[in-house]
Amino acid sequence: MSSPNDFIGIANLPNQRHKIVSRKGAHFTIMVVGESGAGKTTFINTLFAALMREYQNEDKRFQKQLERTVEIEIIRAEIEEKGFNVQLTIIDTPGFGDYVNNSDCWVPIVEFIDEQHLNYMKQERKANRRNIDDMRVHACLYFIQPTGHTLKPLDIEVMKQLGSRVNLIPVIAKADTITRADLTAFKNRILDCIKFHNINVFCPPIESDDEDTTRRNTAIANAMPYAVIGSEQDVVTPDGRRVKGRQYLWGVAEVENEEHCDFKKLRNLLIRTHMDSLISTTEEVHYEDYRANRLTKEGRTDDDPQVRARKLFDAKMKEEEEALRKRFTEQVRTEESKFRKWEQELIDERDRLNKDLEAEHSAVQALKAEIEALKSPVQSRSPRK
Amino acid sequence: MAVIRRKNVKKGLSFTLMSVGASGLGKSTFINALCESAVFDKKDYSNPEQAAVEKTVEITPITVDLEEDGIKLSLTIIDTPGFGDNINNERCFNDILNYIEAQYDYVVSEESRIRRNPKYQDNRVHACIYFIPPTGHALRELDIEFMRRLGSRVNVIPVIAKADSLSPAELVDFKKRVMEDIEYYKIPIYNFPYDDEIDDDETIEENNELRALLPFAVVGSDDEVIINGRRVRCRQYPWGVVEIDNVKHCDFSKLRYMLLSSHLQDLKEITHDILYEQYRTEKLSREGVVDLDSDLPENRLKEEQLRREEERLRERELKVRAELTARQNELLAKEEALKNLEAKLSSQNNINN
Repeated sequence: MSSPNDFIGIANLPNQRHKIVSRKGAHFTIMVVGESGAGKTTFINTLFAALMREYQNEDKRFQKQLERTVEIEIIRAEIEEKGFNVQLTIIDTPGFGDYVNNSDCWVPIVEFIDEQHLNYMKQERKANRRNIDDMRVHACLYFIQPTGHTLKPLDIEVMKQLGSRVNLIPVIAKADTITRADLTAFKNRILDCIKFHNINVFCPPIESDDEDTTRRNTAIANAMPYAVIGSEQDVVTPDGRRVKGRQYLWGVAEVENEEHCDFKKLRNLLIRTHMDSLISTTEEVHYEDYRANRLTKEGRTDDDPQVRARKLFDAKMKEEEEALRKRFTEQVRTEESKFRKWEQELIDERDRLNKDLEAEHSAVQALKAEIEALKSPVQSRSPRK
Repeated sequence: MAVIRRKNVKKGLSFTLMSVGASGLGKSTFINALCESAVFDKKDYSNPEQAAVEKTVEITPITVDLEEDGIKLSLTIIDTPGFGDNINNERCFNDILNYIEAQYDYVVSEESRIRRNPKYQDNRVHACIYFIPPTGHALRELDIEFMRRLGSRVNVIPVIAKADSLSPAELVDFKKRVMEDIEYYKIPIYNFPYDDEIDDDETIEENNELRALLPFAVVGSDDEVIINGRRVRCRQYPWGVVEIDNVKHCDFSKLRYMLLSSHLQDLKEITHDILYEQYRTEKLSREGVVDLDSDLPENRLKEEQLRREEERLRERELKVRAELTARQNELLAKEEALKNLEAKLSSQNNINN
């Protein structure tokens, strides 16, 4: 029971945490997926208010061979704001959905995401874990064409594959192509598709202590898929304001005007309010899922039927080993006894022969003696006159 | 020109137009705006299960009757839903190409009848509008492949769909790059051809102007709004209103005028005189019809006649020769006789003396 006067100081932990984090900095990886010309590069440059990515050089388009591949391009940048550092990695996927035949065009992307999890896993196992290069994707923005109709077969297939591995955020780019009414209908149809096909999209957490925050979070969650307009250029609106936007003959579409598009909400989701949620979901949910899957495949977990099978297998192995050894010893013994018998026979043979030899020898001796005996009496009888 | 107009007024024109492009590019809206009536109903996309299903291209012709400046026009429009919507789109070119060639085949067979039917239904496609998505970059593989394959069978008119998503500067760049691609890949399109010698300066200038607008930047709309008392077809955004008939906003009205008035006849003529003829030649030479001389049976007849003449002459020759030998023999015989008589005469003379 603590009275208000003796507080322990646990409540100070968030401040300490803040210091630690601001010293370490954050690491954020964001991936953009969509057809060429969807507005990915412009969006990234608008989001970070800097030329993160060069625009595609159209003059060189005749020089490259049309190889029909999907490439993974990695752009690293460091952003600093008010003393706080973020190591930013942007993954682009040029070639996705650009060809006549786009079968399996999502495979390089999905493989890349899995590879980053695997990479992190391997580094985590090492003895020295100080400098882990972590490129696990924290957010994947999927750019939907502003047709005004519904999702295409390619969109559905790819979003299914991505949603199970990474925080998937659907985005409608070039939203200044669709009128207000059409946009609402379009968003609803997309949400229907997402629900029907069980596509897993990122749900930003809504509940918080502060009512304002909860309201803002609800608005962000409800605006999905996010209709965005991208522009790095400053233009002047008809009523004289200087804004980031796109200037048409009939007016100016403003990037940060919430009546015109959802850019601000998406920026909040990605950076200002929900970045930590994106990072923690990636680490706690997606990475752990991947790790669990991977390890079970390798057969390393405990109460696993696979492990039991392995043990059984080992026992059988031992039995067989014993049996083999026994057989081997048996065989050796039989062979040995055979040899001994043979040896014995030889010895007997030798003895017999020896005996015979002796017998012969003694016979010879006897005869010799006889001859001697006969010889000498002849000599003793002979003096004749 | 006036004479032709009168004839057109009486008979009425017909024109077949095909529209091709990925779904969601505003093809149906464009057609509705072109015909100023709801030719195509708004499709229903509310079924999420259907969204994942890969479809084949459907060719659906619809005929509308229009009247422009007192000229009746029977316009057949062929929509091609399903083009370019699948994950693998390699097959969708053939569906459309086969349709166009089937119409040509029909005309080829009608023309080679012994008794032609003067009122046969000519369904040949006179123009194909191809909708390019407004990426702002350049042509995609799908665009290049389609226009290349179909450009030699039909007048392809490339248009930039949903052009209100591009700013004026972006539009200029995009148009330039698309035309560069068309030239680089040698894609045949309808580029308002004219003949320096035959056409007058006005026509040449008009065609050059239209050529410079290619590909046409198109915006379509079903909605109408009343601005300053007049009805304006437009698209309403929170930041402004795009008027489709305003030439500064897009090229819709110029395209419409070109298609349905000024260049309608030219498109039909090129289809018939050049594209159809080329197809016909290719098709027939494929089937092995070699015609060096078109009046083959006549030749054979002449040959027969010549042969018969030859025979007759030979017979005559033999006859003449036979006669000649006979006469010679006669002559010889007569000579003999004469000699005998002479001998007898001389012997008698001798006896007498």
